[in-house]
Amino acid sequence: MRRNGIFAKAFCALFALFMLAPILVVIGVSFTPTGYLEFPPSGLSLRWFRAILDNPDFIAAAWISLKLALIAATLATVLAVPAALAIGRGSFRGREALQALFMSPLMVPTVVLGIAFLRFLTLVGISGTFTGMMLCHVVIVTPFILRLVLASVVGLDAATERAAVAMGASDWTVFRRITLPTILPGIVGGWVLAFITSFDELTVTVFIASPSTTTLPVRMFSHIAQTTDPLVASVSTVAILFTVALMLTVDRLYGLDKLLIGEGKT
Amino acid sequence: MAFLDLVNLTKTYGTFTAVDSLSFSVERGSFVSLLGPSGCGKTTTLQMIAGFEEVSSGRILLNGRDLAAVPARQRGLGIVFQTYALFMHMTVAENVAFGLEMRKVDRAERKRRVAEALDLVHLSHLADRYPRAMSGGQRQRVALARALVIQPELLLLDEPLSNLDAKLREEMQLELRRIQREAGVTTLLVTHDQSEAMALSDQVIVMERGRLQQAAAPFDAYEAPQTSFVSGFLGKSNSLRGRLSGKGPEGSALDLGGLRLQGPAADLPPGEVELALRPERIELVAEGEGLVSGTVSEQVFLGDQWLLKVETPLGPLLILRRNTGRPEAAPGETVHLSWQRDHLRILPVEGAA
Repeated sequence: MRRNGIFAKAFCALFALFMLAPILVVIGVSFTPTGYLEFPPSGLSLRWFRAILDNPDFIAAAWISLKLALIAATLATVLAVPAALAIGRGSFRGREALQALFMSPLMVPTVVLGIAFLRFLTLVGISGTFTGMMLCHVVIVTPFILRLVLASVVGLDAATERAAVAMGASDWTVFRRITLPTILPGIVGGWVLAFITSFDELTVTVFIASPSTTTLPVRMFSHIAQTTDPLVASVSTVAILFTVALMLTVDRLYGLDKLLIGEGKT
Repeated sequence: MAFLDLVNLTKTYGTFTAVDSLSFSVERGSFVSLLGPSGCGKTTTLQMIAGFEEVSSGRILLNGRDLAAVPARQRGLGIVFQTYALFMHMTVAENVAFGLEMRKVDRAERKRRVAEALDLVHLSHLADRYPRAMSGGQRQRVALARALVIQPELLLLDEPLSNLDAKLREEMQLELRRIQREAGVTTLLVTHDQSEAMALSDQVIVMERGRLQQAAAPFDAYEAPQTSFVSGFLGKSNSLRGRLSGKGPEGSALDLGGLRLQGPAADLPPGEVELALRPERIELVAEGEGLVSGTVSEQVFLGDQWLLKVETPLGPLLILRRNTGRPEAAPGETVHLSWQRDHLRILPVEGAA
């Protein structure tokens, strides 16, 4: 194997630093004992982590975000799996159009989506409700799941399903025992990606959230708009730790590189 | 009536005819190969027998029962796919047990039959492995065990050896034949590899462009091809054009561009014919004793044989000579060729039939 030269190594190191720097700064700031944003921190203090507990509205917002992300990611998965199976293997009229439709939330600028959702929810009469917000998130996260599930569906050898059929399996048994386990890594990967996307979605949500449905990113955004204390940094640090924990769990179970590269067939 | 009967089986896709009124029969317990180049309709035929492709017209009868109304999952056939189609998330034993599970065979019986099937393919020691940790040859055996464990009436093999390297393929050919004999299962193999088909089968069914070319025992198909396609597809063959000018009880008179030759008796009307001559049947003889002379233009070493290409007035001829230590002729040399009259095959001109 070819070894990397000094320039390649330096480039990689700088690139990694560039990617990680904002996160490192936020984590550093969250441990500051001072009342303002300071980096590097002049001391180590858990003051701003305790402050989270004194702000029940942050905790309430975090619960809403968690609930929203869980439900939206799961609902979107239920929609995306059959869609991916149909698009990935079918050859019917409008197949491409259907795929484009499912993918379109990725193409439309999120600000435009936000305004559109706000208008639409008002028209339907569910603006400011959790249900309305949840439906919007389903639309936003579906493309992420579809992409990953589609990748594993394409890698699925149709002959394996035929083999099961030839051995006497019914359609449902084939799906449950063969198809589903084979594309499961794609489904889990898509779900995780969708969960994270929904959990930290701001641009669209800021348009449609109401005081009773304020998500964590929206809460943090409005907090920064008023004051600039390290509270948002400590909240961010907790959120980062939560995400890392989720990723590690998934990696243990399925192997992250396999999930995110979307390799369905092994 | 044979065990498996295909009667005028036809498959059309729009205006394209993939399988064109194909009829043949397979005897119980025999090993039959469906042989042809890719795109000849052999895999489509297999898919129709398996129930994965709809039949456009014609019938498939298995043991006297018309399969038209029987869905794939009730046909009870064992199938080995080209990609093996193993269930990657299941162990070898679970793969093999799947068909028994679907048949609601109870646990103890299932265990016994899985062990038996794995024993048949010599894989008992790998029962708890996952397929991804196995070699191509081992996966192939798992696929075979999985297909055989349900004791199918008919075993269908779709190019099962084409993903293996040459040496392993030869080993597996012998294995396949042994396993098929031991299981005693009627087997239909789809392949494009003529040597594989000849080595394995009791009967070869040669197809081209959706049509049956010849159905015969391998030796008969090789020795007495009925069409120039079969002659060229089974082994190597020199194909020559000539005229059948007369016939008698003991032979026929042939005219190849002015060269008069004797051929075996032919059941064809006088006129244009195609002549097939196997390269290994051409002999090098002394000057004056040959039927035709030519210049060696190429010489290829094949290990056990030499392949010579000789430019003759009849056109280039390929000749195979056993390697007995040194080449019998070098490029540029003039050689004299002869063959026994009966080794010449007289066939109808392609496309005329």
